Formats: sequence, C-alpha cells, structure tokens
Amino acid sequence: MAGGRPPGDPYGDGYEDEDGYEDAAGTMVRPYTVTRGRTAPERDDLTLITVVTTVEEPLDEFGRPLRPQRLQPEHRLILDRCRRPLAVAEVAASLGLPVSVTKILLGDLVGLGLLGARAPLSMARAAGDRHDLLAAVRDGIRRL
Amino acid sequence: MTTPEAAPAAVKILVAGGFGVGKTTLVGAVSEVTPLRTEEYLTTASVGVDDLAGVGAKDTTTVALDFGRITVSDELVVYLFGTPGQERFWFMWNDLVQGALGGVVIADTRRLETSFASIDFFESRRIPFVVAINCFHGHNTRTAEEIRAALDLDPHVPLLIGDVRRREFGKDALLALVDHLMTLPAPA
Repeated sequence: MAGGRPPGDPYGDGYEDEDGYEDAAGTMVRPYTVTRGRTAPERDDLTLITVVTTVEEPLDEFGRPLRPQRLQPEHRLILDRCRRPLAVAEVAASLGLPVSVTKILLGDLVGLGLLGARAPLSMARAAGDRHDLLAAVRDGIRRL
Repeated sequence: MTTPEAAPAAVKILVAGGFGVGKTTLVGAVSEVTPLRTEEYLTTASVGVDDLAGVGAKDTTTVALDFGRITVSDELVVYLFGTPGQERFWFMWNDLVQGALGGVVIADTRRLETSFASIDFFESRRIPFVVAINCFHGHNTRTAEEIRAALDLDPHVPLLIGDVRRREFGKDALLALVDHLMTLPAPA
C-alpha cells in the first residue's frame, strides 16, 4: 500500500479516511525478512524526516571508487530512488516497507558510504536563526 | 562519507485529532503531492525496537500514517504528518513526535471530546499547537468562545474555524501555527 489511497477517494470527502486501515495491514511475509532478521539499524540517527541522497561517485577512505558488493535488491532500489533527496518516510512509502525496516536498509547504505544523510533542522537554535527558519516556512506556506 | 550539501533540510508539523476528523484531508489539501502512506511497527508495551527480538509478531501493532510535503526552497522542505487515528499508538511513536515544529489539532464541534487527548498530549510534551475546528456543511452552531471553554484551551492558543477540505483553511491553520511559534521563546 505504498503511497496508497483507495481509488475514488483522493482525499475528496475523506472524513473517514485515515482510520480504516489500521487493522488491515496483515502481512504475509515476516517483517524483518529483508533485513535478515535485524530489528535495529546500525545507526540510530535516522529519523522520519532525515533526508537521504545517493552519493554520486562514492569513494572509499583511500579515495578510490567504491564498488558495493552484496547489496540486496532493496538496497539497489533505494539507491535508485534517492538520486533525488527523499525523507526517510518517503523512502519507506515508496518501497512499501515499514519505517523501522527501511531505516535498517538505509543505515546499511549510509554505513557503506553510498548514501548521504542530512539531519532535520532543530528548533533549539539561536533566536535569529529560528526566526529566519520560521519566516521561510511561512513564506513557503503562503505561496501554496 | 560525503555530506550531501545539495540535499534540503526538513522540518515537520503534526496534524492530530480524533478518529476520522479530517487529518488526512487537511494534509492533502495543502500538500504539493497526494498524501503518501507509510507504516510503522509499534509494540503495545511501548518498548524500544531492540526489545522486539524474540517477541512474536502478535505483540506488535502496525500503525499507518499519511503525510504530505511542502517544498519551501531548495534548502528547506516541510513535512506534514497526520498522526494515526488511535491516540494510544501515536503517543508512543517517539520518532514521529520528536523535533516537531508544532501541531495542528483538528476538532469537530459535534464531538469535541475526540480531540481532548491530542490537546493533552501536545500540552504535556510542550509542543506548540493551534486548534482547527472542522466545520463543514455549516454544522457549526457554537461560538469560538464556547469551543474554547469546552476544550479548556489556554487563551494564547490560536483557534480557527473552517472547512479542512479547503486549501485556504489549511494554509490559514499552518500560518496561524507559524505566527504562534514566532511569539514563543526557542525550546530548550
């Protein structure tokens, strides 16, 4: 159900929208199969809105081109999707995988140097910066 | 590791409220894309994911949320997350809650009580919020003052009344939230 929305209800009159699904997510494959049983990512700094981007020409620590070995199909799919920056939640929706599973796969790729990750902006910042950020958000909403 | 300077940074706003009150509708009304759906596993015992090892899948719950995005610039994207309708699930989804700029609580005047839990939650976590009263088909017969009293809202919390299906109302609610945030000191 990635990005899913039932045909005929494109949030039109959808007052009954968000809730009907919650118990309908029965899955036939054990959730952590694609992570080979791992239930926690190698890194804990990936959030729903961490923005991940595929590294164009990945280099190893000696500056030589990285040739990733033994990637799973899901890993390759992520590298393909993240040629343009996507939030972790968007990657999860795109793959149709739960967020926690997606984070494990993303963590693998970040660890291999194949994916870059940008942390969300914190609101705990200097007053001037905070004002500038909020003003930018306000301008973006006004343009809608 | 290469730091992707080209990637935008992200912030998030939560859209909360009771069952079926129109959260996804509001997200969809202002999002530049049709809302996406994603899922997460949570355990009813509110333990960390690590503790799932050895625990049967029956002890986990799958919750779904819908989200949209507003691209502010090449450097900044706002994500709008509609919280799962059953509060007991999203309240323990820390990743969803942490670092949110603020929230929009949607309430329906015919059943205001379904949004009490969201208001309580934002207040307890000190997440700034505004209240958007979803009044469609002209059903609202209550004044803003009556609604404020019924919700026991702090006087400084903005309250708007409108139709969440309309983009302009969604925009107004988000703008009211940002204006509200600008009046507040930075969180610690």
